[in-house]
Amino acid sequence: MTLTWLGRAALYLAFLATIGGLVHQLIALRSDRPSRSIQWALVSLAGIVGAVAVMQFALITHNFSLAYVSENNATFTPLLYSITGMWSALEGSLLLWSLLLCAIIVLVLHYYRRRRDDQVVSWAAVVLFGVSAFFLGLMCGPADPFIHNAAKVLQGAGPNALLQDNPLVAIHPPLLYMGFVGFTVPFAFAIAMLITGRVHDQWPLEQRRWTVLAWGVLSVGIVLGAWWSYQVLGWGGFWGWDPVENAALLPWLTATAYIHSVIVQDRRGLFRVWNLSLAIATFSLTVLGTFFTRSGVLQSVHAFSSSTLGPLLIGFFFVTVALGVGLLAWRGDRLRSPVGVDHPLSKEGLFIANNVLFVGFAVVVLLGTVFPLLYEAVNGGQVTVGTPYFATVAVPMSIVLLVLMSLAPLVGWRNLDANVLWSRIRFSAWTSLIIVAALIIAGVRRPMVLLAYFLATAAAGAALRTLRGAFVAGKRRHQRWYDALRGPSAGGMVVHLGVVVMALAIVTSTSYTTRNEVTLATGQSTVVSGQYVTFYGFRTVKDSLETATQLRVDVNHHALLPAITTYHGRSAQPVGTPAIDSDLARDVYVTFDAVGGNGAASGAQVEGDLPAGSVVLGVTVEPLLAWLWIGGLLLGVGSALSFVRRRHGDEGDG
Amino acid sequence: MKLVKLVKSFWLWCLAFLCVLAVALLEAPTTASQQGRIAHLETLVKCPACDDLSVAQSNATSSIAVRHDIARRVKEGQSDNKILTSLEATYGTSILLSPSTSGLGLLLWLVPLGAVVALVVAGARLARRR
Amino acid sequence: MVISLGVLVLLIAFSAFLATRHPISAATEAPSPLLGKIAPTLKGHELGGGTFSLKSERGKVVVVNFWASWCAPCIQEAPELSTYAWSVRNKGVVVVGVVFNDPVNQATDFAAHYGSLYPSIIDPGGVIANSYGVTSPPTTFVINRQGRVAVTLLGATNAKQLAAVVARVSS
Repeated sequence: MTLTWLGRAALYLAFLATIGGLVHQLIALRSDRPSRSIQWALVSLAGIVGAVAVMQFALITHNFSLAYVSENNATFTPLLYSITGMWSALEGSLLLWSLLLCAIIVLVLHYYRRRRDDQVVSWAAVVLFGVSAFFLGLMCGPADPFIHNAAKVLQGAGPNALLQDNPLVAIHPPLLYMGFVGFTVPFAFAIAMLITGRVHDQWPLEQRRWTVLAWGVLSVGIVLGAWWSYQVLGWGGFWGWDPVENAALLPWLTATAYIHSVIVQDRRGLFRVWNLSLAIATFSLTVLGTFFTRSGVLQSVHAFSSSTLGPLLIGFFFVTVALGVGLLAWRGDRLRSPVGVDHPLSKEGLFIANNVLFVGFAVVVLLGTVFPLLYEAVNGGQVTVGTPYFATVAVPMSIVLLVLMSLAPLVGWRNLDANVLWSRIRFSAWTSLIIVAALIIAGVRRPMVLLAYFLATAAAGAALRTLRGAFVAGKRRHQRWYDALRGPSAGGMVVHLGVVVMALAIVTSTSYTTRNEVTLATGQSTVVSGQYVTFYGFRTVKDSLETATQLRVDVNHHALLPAITTYHGRSAQPVGTPAIDSDLARDVYVTFDAVGGNGAASGAQVEGDLPAGSVVLGVTVEPLLAWLWIGGLLLGVGSALSFVRRRHGDEGDG
Repeated sequence: MKLVKLVKSFWLWCLAFLCVLAVALLEAPTTASQQGRIAHLETLVKCPACDDLSVAQSNATSSIAVRHDIARRVKEGQSDNKILTSLEATYGTSILLSPSTSGLGLLLWLVPLGAVVALVVAGARLARRR
Repeated sequence: MVISLGVLVLLIAFSAFLATRHPISAATEAPSPLLGKIAPTLKGHELGGGTFSLKSERGKVVVVNFWASWCAPCIQEAPELSTYAWSVRNKGVVVVGVVFNDPVNQATDFAAHYGSLYPSIIDPGGVIANSYGVTSPPTTFVINRQGRVAVTLLGATNAKQLAAVVARVSS
């Protein structure tokens, strides 16, 4: 009973402190006094930290007096998975979300403490407190993580099997949530700017760092999620266009548009309406994403169990969008800028195309995600919208995106000078052509692959040229090379390079993946898609956490151990654990598909007509897949560089 | 000097580009083969026991059964459309990974088209304003 | 202004639509080695007395539901199954339950409590469950008129899902 009340007390404290901060801030605005709302934010943070501490204590000591712990933890759950158990299910995930949100509120209020009396900061604080109040309120009511377990349980159910076989469970959700929570800040400031009418200020620039940080963290979080699913799910893929995956992609798309669009506002004061709308849209899509994950209306391997939260989350989504739309309509007259875009192929023109492209794609992904619901409502039947649809839409979009990436860094502002553009793009254009010709000679024939390499080289060329320019300019000013990397577009160009690498990895691996099933007796070898595979035998591994039937397989003389694993716990069902041999040229993905004999204790499917001691292995060979993760790493590095970018007009800028 | 000037010429590059394009298109593989058809159909059908994997990707028993079914039908000479509709009849409409374009499914394709139109219109309006 | 109003209308429609969706409560169709094969023998004594044999129901669609009194989703689906059984009682569809790993008196209490409108047979030793490969209730099999297993449903089902599945199997 104690833990329940301790946890709840901490939550109530956090919630009341947030409300207090909200009220205090509003009063301060009303009476035009500087506010001390950071104190309220600190109390709120203390409360949520206390709640998290109680939950972690319960998880680590396997205290089943909390229903949440008995559902997500067992006495034999290792420390790491006990800690991560906090975000394995719905109520706990809200604890993580609120923790990050309260922390970021304190950070923001501290960062802007010298501008406390600025109305924009005050209104932004109001919005931040409001959002925090919502999420804390959810936990105080319908999503209580501290429900007392009436039954006296001696053993918990343990975490879901797929959430305890890879340490990435400790990194992917926190990064993702950090990204989502991070986007609350530009949203809050966008609302604040609209309320105060101060839309001409430099606030969007102020926000750039928060946005880049949130974007970078979200991007890395999504890539790590893809890597995690690649390592455990057993089909050799990394993205399934699953509703929850799409839910994380949607805010990322609008956030990417926002990051680019703000550059134009910085230089030429354009796109104010776009930028405010994108900031609001990104946060709203984050809320919509929580709806998809937690409402249970869409079938997904990632979704938390369904709950009553659906209508509440959708209601909150509605409020955020309606508020944004209403404020934009109200302040519309102030937002018109006197100048416009001069040429469709100028930098500004290309950035508009970029905005339309990303927002359009987000709309299409959203439509595809909710379409099954729409269809069921209208026609009563069930449909699936899966990879064929999304891929058909994503491919042309990616092509246009690569074209934009090849041109935009090289064109000028306001106008297009064809000769100058050609002189800048010439080298990449010839390189791309030569590379395509070389690929054709080497035997690559698929038009899509050739097109992808052509455009990717051009895009990489534009990025490298810009980076080279930064270094050259830096040298002229006698800067060190790592200072040059802090130049205006260096981080962004590194991100572009990361995107190019990822695009090439995706195109190559999806076009040339080969899947095979091979049957091998103990000691037998075979050659599959150019890989030499040998099966050496079985081994049973049993420890406190799991019982696994491991196979010793050699791929090109590297030992792999694909297995069928059963994690102990109430929901014990065998899961396939793939093994991957990875190098820069290709990934070999091996799964334990079936076993011969009659009902071996392995938990694998039994192939009746195979002799005992034989196995059926799934062998998937995916060329260049490792580069996908390398590209993701570049994304992270580029974001970090962009974060530490020198401001315009700082020392050393041209 | 002349060679450099030639390489610098945009039109030469265009010519080279068109040559490479022609070669690429002529050499493009045709997917009319049975194997190609089977592989393509497998990417369009969902594995009955999974959430969003195609039968090409999943090795569940039901998935393998569907793969054999598709291969058999292709060898019998059934058209793609007939194969997909008969699978729908056995497993329900949710077995296809991309809804049919008739009826409500049309919306799924109109919206992306709308996005493309928006892009083109935006560009045209900008070009006209100059 | 017009754009804002349009967006607002779209937003209201969208939010209202999503807010009124129900969480998925249907069972999942699962792969089963039995799909397409002749259904294993299913005969035994019913809970209230009487006997049942699958063979004598050849020519009708048979819905076989494995349940237990200790299983929470079974409680959820019990009224749905009864509703469905009642709605098809004269339409060539038979619903029969099989008690899974449960003492007879508890099973009888459960059936009485939830007003079961279809017979359930006892499965001593779990022989029938074993032959059907049932590892956790509720599991529902739909057997077509030719006596072959057409669909396997894992998890709590509902009347609507059953109606859709049986319609598909009958066609």
